Amino acid sequence: MKRKLLSALLCVSMAAALLAGCGEKPAEPTTTTPDTPDAGGTEVAAESGDAGSDEEMLIYLVSKGFQHQYWQAVYQGALEAAGEYGVKMEMVGPASESDIQEQVQMLNNAINLKPAAIGLAALDTEACIDLIKVAQDSQIPIIGFDSGVPDAPEGAVYANAATDNYAAGELAAEETYKLIESKITDATEPVRIGVMSQDATAESILNRGYGFVDKMKSLAEAAGKKVSIEGHTNFVDKCGGTVDGADVIIEVVVPAAVQAELSVADGSALLNKEDIIAVYASNQFSGEGLVNADANLHKLGADGVVGVAFDSGKVIMDAIKSGTLSGAVTQDPIAIGYKTVELAVSAAKGETVSDVDTGCKWYTAENMEDEDIAPILYE
Amino acid sequence: MSDKNKKKFTDNPVVKAVGTQRLIALLALCVLFIFFCVASPSFRQYSTFVSIMDASYYIGFMAIGVTFAIITGGIDLSIGTVLVCSSLISGTLATKYDLPVGVCLIVGILIGAMFGLCNGLMVSKMGLPPFIATLGTMMISKGLGSIFTRAQSVTWPQSSESGGWFRNIFKVTLQTDNGLLMIPTGFILLILFAVLMSVILNKTKTGRYILALGSNKEATRLSGVNIAKYETLAYVFSGTFAGIAGVAYAATYSTLLPGNGGGMELDAIAGVVIGGTSMSGGYGTIAGTLIGVFIMSVLKIGLPFVGLQNQYQQFITGFVLIIAVFADVYNRRKKSKN
Amino acid sequence: MGETILRMERIDKSFTGVHALKGVDFDLQKGEVHALMGENGAGKSTLMKILTGIYSKDSGTITYEGREVEFKNPKEAQDAGIAIVHQELNMMNHLTVAQNIFIGREAMNGKIINDKKMNEDAKALFERLNIEIDPAETMGDLTVGKQQMCEIAKAISREVKLIVFDEPTAALTDAEIEELFKIIRDLREKGLGIIYISHRMDEIKVITDRVTVMRDGEYVGTLITKDCTKEDIINMMVGRVIYEEPKQKSMVAADAPVVLSVRHLNAGKMVKDVSFDLHRGEILGFAGLMGAGRTETARAIFGADPVESGEIYMNGKKVEIKCPQDAVAAGIGYLSEDRKRYGIILDKTITENSTMATMEEYQKGLFIDEKKERHVTEQYVTKLKTKTPTVETAVGNLSGGNQQKVVIAKWLVRDCDVLIFDEPTRGIDVGAKSEIYHLMNELAGQGKSIIMISSELPEVLRMSDRIVVMCEGRITGEIPIEEASQENIMTAATLRD
Repeated sequence: MKRKLLSALLCVSMAAALLAGCGEKPAEPTTTTPDTPDAGGTEVAAESGDAGSDEEMLIYLVSKGFQHQYWQAVYQGALEAAGEYGVKMEMVGPASESDIQEQVQMLNNAINLKPAAIGLAALDTEACIDLIKVAQDSQIPIIGFDSGVPDAPEGAVYANAATDNYAAGELAAEETYKLIESKITDATEPVRIGVMSQDATAESILNRGYGFVDKMKSLAEAAGKKVSIEGHTNFVDKCGGTVDGADVIIEVVVPAAVQAELSVADGSALLNKEDIIAVYASNQFSGEGLVNADANLHKLGADGVVGVAFDSGKVIMDAIKSGTLSGAVTQDPIAIGYKTVELAVSAAKGETVSDVDTGCKWYTAENMEDEDIAPILYE
Repeated sequence: MSDKNKKKFTDNPVVKAVGTQRLIALLALCVLFIFFCVASPSFRQYSTFVSIMDASYYIGFMAIGVTFAIITGGIDLSIGTVLVCSSLISGTLATKYDLPVGVCLIVGILIGAMFGLCNGLMVSKMGLPPFIATLGTMMISKGLGSIFTRAQSVTWPQSSESGGWFRNIFKVTLQTDNGLLMIPTGFILLILFAVLMSVILNKTKTGRYILALGSNKEATRLSGVNIAKYETLAYVFSGTFAGIAGVAYAATYSTLLPGNGGGMELDAIAGVVIGGTSMSGGYGTIAGTLIGVFIMSVLKIGLPFVGLQNQYQQFITGFVLIIAVFADVYNRRKKSKN
Repeated sequence: MGETILRMERIDKSFTGVHALKGVDFDLQKGEVHALMGENGAGKSTLMKILTGIYSKDSGTITYEGREVEFKNPKEAQDAGIAIVHQELNMMNHLTVAQNIFIGREAMNGKIINDKKMNEDAKALFERLNIEIDPAETMGDLTVGKQQMCEIAKAISREVKLIVFDEPTAALTDAEIEELFKIIRDLREKGLGIIYISHRMDEIKVITDRVTVMRDGEYVGTLITKDCTKEDIINMMVGRVIYEEPKQKSMVAADAPVVLSVRHLNAGKMVKDVSFDLHRGEILGFAGLMGAGRTETARAIFGADPVESGEIYMNGKKVEIKCPQDAVAAGIGYLSEDRKRYGIILDKTITENSTMATMEEYQKGLFIDEKKERHVTEQYVTKLKTKTPTVETAVGNLSGGNQQKVVIAKWLVRDCDVLIFDEPTRGIDVGAKSEIYHLMNELAGQGKSIIMISSELPEVLRMSDRIVVMCEGRITGEIPIEEASQENIMTAATLRD
């Protein structure tokens, strides 16, 4: 940390000297100064490498960021695997999940270091595509993790270590359905289920939504109900469209920007609907928006509107403990980190690798402390 | 006939006192509010009012502060990221280093004030254009927040926890016979600060000099006024209120994400401008600023109730901004021509 | 003198509540220079704005070149061959001279601007006017006088038949004025109609053929210039008699103590080794040509610009003046030559402007004592006879003379011992001028000491007890009023090393 700050200062003073040197020249150099707060980029040297390995292997992970505690758990798992396999591992990520450009720069730097393998959770595959090809040419294997690298060119990504987000969405739907089954089957008036999605661009978040909506629809239809999908066009088009005279309405809302108050506004609007019986928030950000919206309305709860979230984090875990949220699906970020490094090492050694589903789990106030749940929850 | 009416309208003493632009803004606020009330039954309830308040606090505090910077004829682009930076750092101190929350809140406000002081000195002493100086601190504060937190998000203590008491500053939840009652105490706080700053602006030497140097810096200097001091002070107000806005944000939304905050300052500045403060300096009111801020939060909260996604908030705010300012410009032009 | 080019008859114009023009008549002939005179607010500029299409008239007729016309906007007037040279220069300082002159109608090479051709055109234009300016030079680098020439060149670069000069000499040196007059005479020879607006009587006598006087929006009368005296014109303008006689002898007591003493002051290129004394109750005139360093000296004493070396003593005690605050604390007040930029804040009220330098005295606890503030301001409004509806009126709504009174009030409220008046009557009409003179005499009588910088020699001779003359940053003469004449002042003002 100290060293980083020092080198950042060095860059600044160099840029300043350069500026002073060329007088009135505009401040171009400063803009290219890498001011990346690459906080998580900590190097880990293996404590004792495999005696057999000729040189120390470097595995480089480019994540989506470190904003959410989720990534810290990924890092923890990766660290564990690095220690076990005796490789050097470095993990970087942009300051926020909207800094696509910054992530591209980081991937570029990573390729220049010529590591044995790269782990990548792309914010935007399109933006990375040229670099992915470069990596392919230099025969650096890429392992996708978390949401991976959707639509990557053939052969570039050797394998993925990721949650099957669609399946995770389905799990959320099944668990939610258990809690609201009677409300649906006994309903005389139409009932509404809300879905809050952070955005409509990220593949992982979309899939969690699709999985939930599709599954919920089929469950309700199995109970003999007519289902209509409303709200964001992506979902309406993909999951079956708006129908008149439906018994169950699934409404999907997406805020204009990733801003807390916009997500809260969406949540409030959903919770204020007379016919609402459940709301599902498909990531940590939306989950917090739902909890914050309910702070003014107090409609969520076991005997009120059923709230279901995704991932963990302090706000969501507290809400589950207090009963505001009925439960949430969590991925296994530690497993994601661990498996990524494991796959990377295998790929670097030239072994054949294939996709690994790192799994997901449903947790509630009852099982939060359980041995298989507690370690994968993060504050 | 319409011409006659127009004359009557602008000559009306009430209109003159309030100012055409602020009147239009106030009218827009009322129209929007009534529209949402009519269009959506679920909008017409107390909890919606509380939500609107929640969305107003942090923009409101930022806007009150930046009004001063704008009145000097300058601008402060750093307030959004300073808000996030100060709240990230103080939040980290509270959660990771277990400092008392009260101390952390004060530290957060002081960080805002420090950034304001730096901006002020750069503008008044070093002679940097405000746009450049605050663009610089905008980036610096964004980076600093990420460096300090190692780019991780920070979640302030929940109300159920021991450190969560500070949330009651902005919202008190009472248990009553009819269920829970929420009192948006933050609204009272916002109004108190607005009145305080309005008094400073209009009734004290500091405010008088800030208004004067915004109109004509050189004439003010040649009257023997220490303009560097008062210009700096305007930016200190701006920064300090960004710090206070950070507290409000933490109390309302709990979690702060590093790297965010860019763009918040534009919401605040838009509020100030809708409220009738002149971007070229020398004129402005805090009351107008608050009206501008409330227009935006009513839109933010209201639109989802009528089934419009939030994209429409920006879209409509843009129109309100242009119409409000144009009405004022048009009036002035007509006046100067007569 | 030839046929009539312009005839304006019974022109009437009202703004909300103000009857600005009441049936005004005016006519202009080809090859004539016709002065339009009147105090500020008499309606001269309104009349000219109607002529050039900026305002529309309520009633009356305008006949231009034998046809009745009504210009809807300035462009139409321009196209008809009417040009106006404004008092304030409207130049873009970062563009070249030629680019300024041809702005809006650039010579083009397809889609690319042809700067070379514009430079050549500008050069030809300057040759026609007999001026020496390099068209490729940056406008901001020229002197004010040269910029004015460019403004004229710009005006006549179109097909012009009628040209209006609005106080063209306000910022010019005497030599530059001579040059300007040459050009005007030349244009007259070519048969153009010329309307000339100015407050300077001497110029009117020299350059114009006829004088039309307006007062309070009404037409007063027209005189043939060579058949009338200055006094005739002034009497028509103000409706009362004004004397403009030089002061006979110094009014300062022989044993009056020195209040301000400046020794070997150096500041920048324009203030070199300046030393002088100012006595109690004295009006010390600072004469010199434009750019002689008088304003710079005043600004250096006031701490508005950095001083390199030298000492300043107030009442015998050395004072350190690093910024205007120090000067104000020492009891010095400065009334800038450029009122609107440096003197007042146009969009603030009279009260706010008057108390700007003395805020401390109106503090009641943390707040401003608005009652006291208003009370004191009202006193000064009465005392200085400032014409205004209320003390809460924005200063920008007042006439030039009344604005100057607000600036004076600001420093009187401060109770300064030394007042520096920099061009105190610039842009102020004759009536208000004599009030300002009266006020300055009264202040000196009360024991205040005044430094008066003025470019108008009659003003210097009329007001001063002693005259300091500067040239190129140095003091080149110090003349007691008893010995002063326009001639010996001008001699000192042109003394070079």
